Amino acid sequence: MGDKINLTRYIKLWWMMTVMVSQNSFVSRFGAVLFFLGKLIRFVFFLFFLLIIVSRTQAIIGYTLWQIILFYITFNFIDSLAQFFLREVYRFRSYVVSGNFDYFLTKPMPVLFRLLFGGSDVLDIPIILLSTGFIVVTLSKIGNISVSEIFIYLALLLNGFLIALAFHIFVLSIGILTSEVDNTLWLFRDLTQMGRFPIDIYQNPLRSVITFIIPVGIMITFPAKAAMGLLSAQSIIFAFVIGISFLFISYKFWNFSLKRYSSASS
Amino acid sequence: MLRVIVSKVESMKKYYLIVRNTWDEMLTYRASFIMWRVRNTIQLLTIYFLWLVVLPPGKSLLGYSQPLMLTYILGTSLMDSIVLSSRTYIIGEEINNGNLMNFLLRPVNYFLYWFAKDIGDKAMNVCFSIVELTLIFIILKPPFFIQTSPFYILFFIFSAILSLFIYFFINFLLGLIGFWSPEVWAPRFIFITLLGFFAGSLFPLDILPKTIFEIMKFLPFTYLLYFPLKIYLGQLNFPQILSGLAISFFWVFAIYFLVKIIWQKGLKSYTAYGR
Repeated sequence: MGDKINLTRYIKLWWMMTVMVSQNSFVSRFGAVLFFLGKLIRFVFFLFFLLIIVSRTQAIIGYTLWQIILFYITFNFIDSLAQFFLREVYRFRSYVVSGNFDYFLTKPMPVLFRLLFGGSDVLDIPIILLSTGFIVVTLSKIGNISVSEIFIYLALLLNGFLIALAFHIFVLSIGILTSEVDNTLWLFRDLTQMGRFPIDIYQNPLRSVITFIIPVGIMITFPAKAAMGLLSAQSIIFAFVIGISFLFISYKFWNFSLKRYSSASS
Repeated sequence: MLRVIVSKVESMKKYYLIVRNTWDEMLTYRASFIMWRVRNTIQLLTIYFLWLVVLPPGKSLLGYSQPLMLTYILGTSLMDSIVLSSRTYIIGEEINNGNLMNFLLRPVNYFLYWFAKDIGDKAMNVCFSIVELTLIFIILKPPFFIQTSPFYILFFIFSAILSLFIYFFINFLLGLIGFWSPEVWAPRFIFITLLGFFAGSLFPLDILPKTIFEIMKFLPFTYLLYFPLKIYLGQLNFPQILSGLAISFFWVFAIYFLVKIIWQKGLKSYTAYGR
């Protein structure tokens, strides 16, 4: 019961913070429209790029056009979801450097929650909705997908988001220790962009790195493969183990870093 | 006469110092720069591996064999450093926060100042790009096409220089939005998105449907990466090279004059707000 109340309180807090940050995003409506347009153009153009390649070559390492699109849309969905919820992490460095981080520490709100979910970016919502629509269309186009495969796909999507969350916690922890946030974050995003294509296209040791060390493959390729019925039961279990382990380790690392925070900037 | 030349050389010295300062600046924040290059390499490898599986040995796509396509993709990395490395994205911010006033009061040509900064930036990026490509060659041993004809190499260099100017002036133009709006990043975001697709860093533009490609031939983006690399690959005949260079020239001068006009108009409305 207590947990339920806590969860409701967190959702309320998140909602309040999101409403306030959203007002900020729309201070310049011109800018907001341009940013949304930019994201839409990026989404559509990359889809067009995939269409061009597959139409010229018939298939990429055995995957059909709709299967390739599913990999891309899955990437897009997880990426947009992470950006929507976790945008505040991009501002963390300025909080540390300016000393504002100390101010968050004194607030009666878990600081990690504030830093992760305190600045949701509403400009990502249209892309999330678009991706969701595309996932439905793509799955129906691929066909022959059972209810259990769809269920596993959704569960692995959630697992992918947990891995993204774990990475953002890692980035925050490194940020506390070194004041370095932006480069680590962008490096993570570039690595996840490798998941726009099935990770089978990469050669070893790169493929192993993005499967086991920075599990982009588990985040993006695994859910799409599960939907196509190409993932073994062991791999599915392995994916969840990795997801939960990453989240656990990142949380431990966060606690470790927080204890070493010296508040030097304030 | 000699005095004039000496004074010209003296005045150019300060721009050389700006090039060196930019180089040193990048070395000061080397961790940040190295991370930037690592990110570039990751993006390059993603597209490289994609094309490696799309075009296996012996297969070809619209005139591109595997060695030609991989040369094109790896070539975009070097061209990216030569053409697309730039510092001019700061101009909009400088106008917005009033820092432009500092330059207007100094005996410095604002255009040459940014061009010198760009050269410093490009020099460092080119050095790193060469090291990265060397490592890729050692580790992945990609099939590579080496152009031996001096004719193509000469035109490739010439075309790359023109693209460098086109990109410099487009970037400068985008920065000038700062005279009228604080929203300088959103238009740039759209520009970068369009650039990623239309400049040809993901694929050679001539694999697009013919109608789209014919339209793109008249856009400046086509002449930033795609056109110079296409010359390097020796896939254009002399009239095609000449017509491409003519369009490049047109864009260099058209955007240059546009920048000049907008710069003058902007200065008239500039209030150095923020200083």
